[in-house]
Amino acid sequence: MQWIETEEMVRFNEVDEWGMAWHGHYMAWFEVGRISLLRQFDLLPRQIVDLGYVAPVISLKCDFKNPAASGDRIIIRTTAVKPEIAALIFKFDILLKENRTLLARGETTQVLLTTNRKMIYRLSGELEKRIRNLVDYCLQDVTVQVATKAQTIEN
Amino acid sequence: MDEIVNNSEALCEFLKKMIIDTLKLEGVAVQGIDTSAPLFRKGLGLDSIDALELVVAIEKIFNVIIEDEEVGKRAFTSINALAKFIQEKYKQGK
Repeated sequence: MQWIETEEMVRFNEVDEWGMAWHGHYMAWFEVGRISLLRQFDLLPRQIVDLGYVAPVISLKCDFKNPAASGDRIIIRTTAVKPEIAALIFKFDILLKENRTLLARGETTQVLLTTNRKMIYRLSGELEKRIRNLVDYCLQDVTVQVATKAQTIEN
Repeated sequence: MDEIVNNSEALCEFLKKMIIDTLKLEGVAVQGIDTSAPLFRKGLGLDSIDALELVVAIEKIFNVIIEDEEVGKRAFTSINALAKFIQEKYKQGK
């Protein structure tokens, strides 16, 4: 499974009275990771609209494992899952950059509606192509990819 | 499958079981689903995500495609309506 990593810093205004990153901000960090991944496959929200669709989040899960503090550097790891249904499903891990401690683990599901708000049950055309590219990329076996890279350097 | 599709009563029973199995409905029995009651909201209480899962099951089992909500509205009106929809499309696909 291929994950993309995005770095952020916990800002002073993002911690609560107990000095821990407020739980709601993790959703915004998921969004940062998701956008970084979607950008590579021309699936940014605006580009999805250009294709005639919107993709609202209909499910969001998050387990909090360890707290982050103001000034901590965090890594947002994001990948997409091959969906059985016509949906976009992402998984997220948020790690502390310093020692890669897992801070939170989450998942979001987005359905696809036409811009006049009718849900689509099957992906088709350009949208299907771009989502397939995204999912295929994320499903790549990372060990194989690393080996290929090493081979390229050798060559 | 032809035998089930051609027999409306058997098809309705099959679809009820398919819905229970696909959506893992707990506490719902085949005999507890009214053949003419709405599947969504007030009836069986299914939602649009359930529809997405049912669409995949119907395509796998019957090779019948329900493209979007517009078509789904008609197909998912009730078990009876779904059976009729599948019979119609199944024949067209043959």
